[in-house]
Amino acid sequence: MAITPRFVLLLALGVVPIVALGGDSLADAATVLGVWLAFVLVLAALDLVLAASPRLLSAERVVPARLRLGESAEVQLFLGNRGTRALRGVVRDAWQPSAGADTNRQRITLPAGERRRVSTRLTPTRRGERRVEQITIRSLGPLGLAARQATLEAPGRLRVLPPFHSRKHLPSRLARLRELDGRTAVMLRGQGTEFDSLREYVRGDDVRSIDWRATARRSSPSLAPSLMVRTWRPERDRRVVIVIDSGRTSAARIADEPRLDTAFESALLLAALASHAGDRVDLLAYDRLVRGRVQGASGPELLSRMVDAMAGIEPELIEMDWTAVPSLVRGVTSRHALVVLLTSIEAPGAASGLLAVLPELSKRHTVVVASVTDPALQQAASARGSRNEIYWAAAAEQALLDVERVSAAIRQSGAEVVTAAPAALPPALADRYIALKAAGRL
Amino acid sequence: MIDTAARPAAAPALDPARDPALDPALAPAVTPTLRASGRKAAFWLAAAAGALVVAVIALLLNGAAIAGGPALGRANPAPVGAKAVAEVLAAQGVDVVTADSLDAALAATAAAAGRATLLVYDENALLDSEQIARLQDAAAHTVVVDPGFALLQGLAPEIGFGGVSAADQAIEAGASCSSAAGERAGSVAALPGAGLKTLRIPADAAGYAGCFTDGAGASVLVQGGGQDARLSFLADPAILANESITAAGNAALALGLLGEAPTLVWYLPTLADVAAGAPPSMAELSPGWVTPVMVLLVLTGVAAAVAYGRRFGPLVLERLPVTVRASETMEGRSRLYARSSARLRAVDALRLAAIGRIAGRLGLARTASLDEVVAAASAATGLPLHAVRSVLVDEQPQNDSAMLALSDRLAGLEGAVIRGTTPPTSTPPTERMDP
Repeated sequence: MAITPRFVLLLALGVVPIVALGGDSLADAATVLGVWLAFVLVLAALDLVLAASPRLLSAERVVPARLRLGESAEVQLFLGNRGTRALRGVVRDAWQPSAGADTNRQRITLPAGERRRVSTRLTPTRRGERRVEQITIRSLGPLGLAARQATLEAPGRLRVLPPFHSRKHLPSRLARLRELDGRTAVMLRGQGTEFDSLREYVRGDDVRSIDWRATARRSSPSLAPSLMVRTWRPERDRRVVIVIDSGRTSAARIADEPRLDTAFESALLLAALASHAGDRVDLLAYDRLVRGRVQGASGPELLSRMVDAMAGIEPELIEMDWTAVPSLVRGVTSRHALVVLLTSIEAPGAASGLLAVLPELSKRHTVVVASVTDPALQQAASARGSRNEIYWAAAAEQALLDVERVSAAIRQSGAEVVTAAPAALPPALADRYIALKAAGRL
Repeated sequence: MIDTAARPAAAPALDPARDPALDPALAPAVTPTLRASGRKAAFWLAAAAGALVVAVIALLLNGAAIAGGPALGRANPAPVGAKAVAEVLAAQGVDVVTADSLDAALAATAAAAGRATLLVYDENALLDSEQIARLQDAAAHTVVVDPGFALLQGLAPEIGFGGVSAADQAIEAGASCSSAAGERAGSVAALPGAGLKTLRIPADAAGYAGCFTDGAGASVLVQGGGQDARLSFLADPAILANESITAAGNAALALGLLGEAPTLVWYLPTLADVAAGAPPSMAELSPGWVTPVMVLLVLTGVAAAVAYGRRFGPLVLERLPVTVRASETMEGRSRLYARSSARLRAVDALRLAAIGRIAGRLGLARTASLDEVVAAASAATGLPLHAVRSVLVDEQPQNDSAMLALSDRLAGLEGAVIRGTTPPTSTPPTERMDP
């Protein structure tokens, strides 16, 4: 039950009859007051009785299953009036706040036995699963003085995927990849390539790539002698294993983006690139439990499965357990692979777990450790105007030196290091991948 | 945002109103119905009703014991009341008339046509001097209990207050007592542990006689005044009160004083005596509708609070992720440096970083020693070796301004190294590539 502002206004209007009819006598005025109160209450009660029941409703939702963060979608709620009276009132569709509903209260008129659509525009502000559990209906009476109110169950959910802003870097990196491919045309032989096929020599081919044995086999008395050359192409069907650290340190916000989200962006760009290059990509998000896993997917399915797995992952406030990572990687592939660890490189003390397992990993695989650096540190390090700024700069330089020291230790144990600011990390990691591929280290 | 769309796109185009089988079932309601919430609250409602019934029964059973009223009330059975003596007088045939205003009391005495005793006990000094003057000749015998200053001043200005007699001591009537009732009573006493209030008759006051005079010469009962209308002052209400009426000769004195005439007017002044002459109050001056309008406005305010405060369904829960700012450790460390004025440590951090950058700029290996870096920087900038070494290694700032200056020189050295290693840009720009 609820009363409306109109009820309040009507109650306040009682001043007029009390002053006009009550006159100087307290008893008369009190009588008028009593009569007015009774009148208003009776009207409100009548209104309540005549209001349509807010419980006799059916509710059905049409919600898109997935939505990228930053995009908007229209979600629809179909309300059917199963009662015998027309319902007039307000409906509240109670989406979670970060679903970003443009409005959550809408007027509605539902004739008996009919259905109406209530649509809401959602612009989610956070990735993950956004839910709605209930709707609340306030059914006004014919006079608009009082309303019946009920909350009905009408669950719905919308999966908000990571935005993949870094896909803007994809075309330029794919062009670089094609350049790498393009070397086959000039028959450049070397690291990062593998044998493709044999064909006849045409003018301009590198004489060094003539395969004399194949030429001899091909030569027969009946045919004109022709030289056979080998062709080469970049390595394909390599394994890339991306391990995302979803532990404590991934919660830190750098340039208004959690480390974890930057790691997702980097992983998505790398996966898109690697799957175009013909490599197989597997993804693991891990802290002490596997929070997300994508294995054995390829092509467009890979990216959609990856964003789907990432949507629900939030930073956990526990320490990353590095000791389990080698066996996890072994579980994914027993072959040599490119293992990309998306984590944070900070103080030497915090990195000891990572440093302990790196030799084991880098013995079997090519390992890249990627980490976000804080652009605020660089800024603080260069401002030296006052006493406080010098201390800030000293602390920032100290932090950068720590990062440098840990990076050196990581390189020492045979792994590569990629560090960059949040916006620059995904392309930097992609470039490193292309460089490694060109160098044949996959 | 609302329109009359038929169905979601995926569903078949059928009108659900005409085909209830296809229509989804009613959405289950979360809000309990009135009946359900009533059933839920039934226990508490029943408990509250039970408590109310028990309270009412207890009140009815013990009602007599806690009945109250004014001190010396005619029908007050409490210890300070005077129901005992009034009931005994009534049983003896005295017509006890209760009056709660001066007008009523005077009307009652007038009705008795001079054969009435008037008992006045003005506990809260409500009567003013004009009203006291009207009491003067109201009855054949006026008994004033525990007179206050105004009553004494108005009725017998000569009489003064005599203080309180010694405790636990009955006061004998004494030889000077001319009152028959007093003589019959013999002695009066208060409750154990208390004394009796007394009045004092000055030596030069004529026409007054005191009874029950204590050792200090103050009397409990003072009689006098006029030829026909006798006036008695009973100094202490304890003589008549239920709790002490049975002490010594209290009861005999009370019955003797009050039972003389066939009618006893029992007058205890109330607020009705006061209002008479007061100036008109705010309520009397304002028109009658003011109070109802104020009540209505208060009710409107309450209704507005209810109308706007009613929650539109339950709150929505959402788990939010933690927010950790990454630069917190850096800020904390800088504050620690600042608080302990760790100048050398701060400068060393800046120097280490600068040495690393200079070494990188000069193309030295990561493993290059400090001396190599200093020598290379000196060679690149043309600065003397000891000056470079002082900036990069030796100098220890003693105060903040020295630290600032050192930091500036460090930045200057870094800039000089960069300038020294940048090739001159006098070469013309390269031409465009051929297509």
